[in-house]
Amino acid sequence: MLKKILVILFLIFFYGTCNAATTIQQQPLTLILDWFANPNHAPLFVAQQQGYFKQQGLDVKFIAPAGPSDPPKLVAAGKADLAITYQPQLVMQVAQGLPLVRIATLINTPLNCLAVKADSNIKTIADLKGKRIGYSTDGVDTAMLTAMLAQHHLTPKDVTLINVNYDLVQALLSGNVDAVTGVMRNFELIEMQLAGHPARAFLAEENGMPSYDELVIVTNKAEVNDPRLPRFLTALTLGTQYLEKHPEESWQLFAKNHPELNNELNHRAWFATLPYFASQPAAFDQTRYQNLALFLQQQGLIKTVPKVGDYAVKLGD
Amino acid sequence: MIYTRGIIVTLSLLLIWQLLVGILQLPIFILPGPLLVLKTLILQAPLIASQAWITILETLLGLFLATLFGCTLALTMAFFQPLRLWLLPILIISQALPTFAIAPLLVIWFGYGMASKIATTLLMLFFPIASSFFDGLKRTEHAWLDLAQTMNASRWNILWQIRVPAALPSLASGLRVATAAAPIGAIIGEWVGSSSGLGFLMLNANARMEIDLMFAVLLVIVVFGISLYFSVDKLLRRVIWWQAEKN
Amino acid sequence: MFPKRPLEPELASTSVGKVQMTLSTAPAISIQNAHLRYGEQVLFDDLTCHLPAGKTTCLLGPSGVGKSSLLRLIAGLGVTSGNRTAKEKIQIDQHDPSLIAYMAQTDLLMPWLSVLDNVLLGYRLRKESSPETRAHELLNQVGLGNAIKKYPAQLSGGMRQRVALVRTLMEERPVVLMDEPFSALDTITRLKLQKLAAELLANRTVLLITHDPLEALRLGHQILIMSGQPAKLEKLELSGTPPRSLTDEKLLRWQGELMERLT
Repeated sequence: MLKKILVILFLIFFYGTCNAATTIQQQPLTLILDWFANPNHAPLFVAQQQGYFKQQGLDVKFIAPAGPSDPPKLVAAGKADLAITYQPQLVMQVAQGLPLVRIATLINTPLNCLAVKADSNIKTIADLKGKRIGYSTDGVDTAMLTAMLAQHHLTPKDVTLINVNYDLVQALLSGNVDAVTGVMRNFELIEMQLAGHPARAFLAEENGMPSYDELVIVTNKAEVNDPRLPRFLTALTLGTQYLEKHPEESWQLFAKNHPELNNELNHRAWFATLPYFASQPAAFDQTRYQNLALFLQQQGLIKTVPKVGDYAVKLGD
Repeated sequence: MIYTRGIIVTLSLLLIWQLLVGILQLPIFILPGPLLVLKTLILQAPLIASQAWITILETLLGLFLATLFGCTLALTMAFFQPLRLWLLPILIISQALPTFAIAPLLVIWFGYGMASKIATTLLMLFFPIASSFFDGLKRTEHAWLDLAQTMNASRWNILWQIRVPAALPSLASGLRVATAAAPIGAIIGEWVGSSSGLGFLMLNANARMEIDLMFAVLLVIVVFGISLYFSVDKLLRRVIWWQAEKN
Repeated sequence: MFPKRPLEPELASTSVGKVQMTLSTAPAISIQNAHLRYGEQVLFDDLTCHLPAGKTTCLLGPSGVGKSSLLRLIAGLGVTSGNRTAKEKIQIDQHDPSLIAYMAQTDLLMPWLSVLDNVLLGYRLRKESSPETRAHELLNQVGLGNAIKKYPAQLSGGMRQRVALVRTLMEERPVVLMDEPFSALDTITRLKLQKLAAELLANRTVLLITHDPLEALRLGHQILIMSGQPAKLEKLELSGTPPRSLTDEKLLRWQGELMERLT
């Protein structure tokens, strides 16, 4: 009788401490996406699907924001651990005093481009003179446009700029604008094709803008030494590698987990984005970061060029 | 007299704002303090002014058209009873449709110029004006209608000489409600897509993380809204002078 | 149309003497088979009464008996109140809607119109040319000569009811239906207006609803007492010419008898 009780007590104790041990190990981490979940975030979702975050003892929650300018603000205010943002915006945010530091890169090449309908009579940038151009994010989009136009001896005064607030494809399809900028070549271009109006794109880095990381992950400066972050990075890297090796499988699992995103557009975009992911999320190119900051200063978007080391680190060094 | 209280309330709100920022240690990019916002307002006054008149114009035109169409619909429903059941759903739907959801459609139809902003304002203000005026027209004192009937007046004359003036106080209530919300209609329209205006300015300021500018613009919008309300209120009191005497 | 600011009162001259009006001889009104029913409740059935030509008939009775409804039926107005649907029937000899003028218990003055515009309401509503001179004269006669440009909000209750009386007279209709026109006024004002109304309404066929037996005795050539459910009418013929003096002994005696009859 006594033995039975002791065994039961022991089992309860053992089971209890096991549970306690696992719950202590699963540390929560909030990451605010830049937009609603889409194929740009594939490495993150794959890492989660394959349990890499869990293996690292992290319980990562993805949150979709109200708009792309919110995530960095929330991290800067200490309301979230991580956020996805864009390298050019990051520089501007840092220049405005937000205490942010880039700790990982999802996409280490520009996705930004200017798009027109393929059947429009705008064949070169020079043809944009006198036309209406829609954009989403003032500052970066307009900086890219200015650089593009400058190469063809045009200035923003030669065009009409219209802020269309993220309804880029709609704006172009409706004919209310002649061109849109701030469009992602791996997504909106496919969207236009599926809508029956293929687009012609003018790529940012081919038209006067220095190369940069389209999607980066940032954290609050005060948290840069948080022990969760290197583990996060490890899991993310594994996720990226798995995605590279098993793209179709990863898509299937993603589609199953997010049935509302299981459509033709996302399916095609998933595969179109594969070449753009950074295979080494932790790494970044110092020179490129410096060049972009200088470019933004030239465009008058920032006053002083912040030191790269102040807002970008490679964890694990 | 009323202005003293208004000033006290405004100053108190500004003080609370400053205290909130101080006590909660809110960073500038979340909520800038009133002094910083006022400084930005002064520094950027030319820019803000250049965009303000566009939003003001959109608001006023939207309000004017909403009044015109709203009153026309109300009069039509009041005079042509059979049409009432056909037109009433239109009225209700215009209110049930959330403006921010319809705004993108309006922009597609009307383009990115002022027309779409006037349209969103019109859509938003249409219901309060039309329904309050119609309500007033429906509720004309029966005794007056009886009197007019014994005087062998035509329905048309009864409408214009008795029912309309009697319904003006009701219309005034609707107009006041509409006026308070009027600037919002224009701003929502601008947020969908625009190349000018205070809403446009806010979008850009937000994208550039210039939150102090965004709040400066917000302040201007609030001041505009309040001024518009008081102006319309004063105008209504002059036109419907007999209601004041009743009180 | 209506946005006029109240002007300073002008001192108008008061004119003395009665206004000469040309009226076609006021007709008698004969009512037969009046029937009014709300659902199961029958207010009156197969009611008959006769309003003699050029004379004042006062209709007396407790509230709710159907006096106002009967008057409204004669005036050609609807009797549906709230959500009670009515079944009504009435046969009126000599019935012509353009012969009837109506005065209610409340003055029904339009607050956005001046006194002058209010008394000319009928002409404005019919888009006819307004006989302003006669309006001025009548207003003077009732003692409102210097209120012509004022607005209803500036007048006392008695003054407003006087304006309503002038408005009714301005219609120049030979038949006048009045529903307790003086009951909302204080006693002194009421007595004055009764005298005024009787003088100005002489030679018209008048049906006056009242709950005040004294008023009925002062103003009526005959009194109809309406009582019971379904209501019946009891006629009382009176001698003498209204307005009868309050000091008249006969009046006081009749009042006693009438009160007995009513209670």
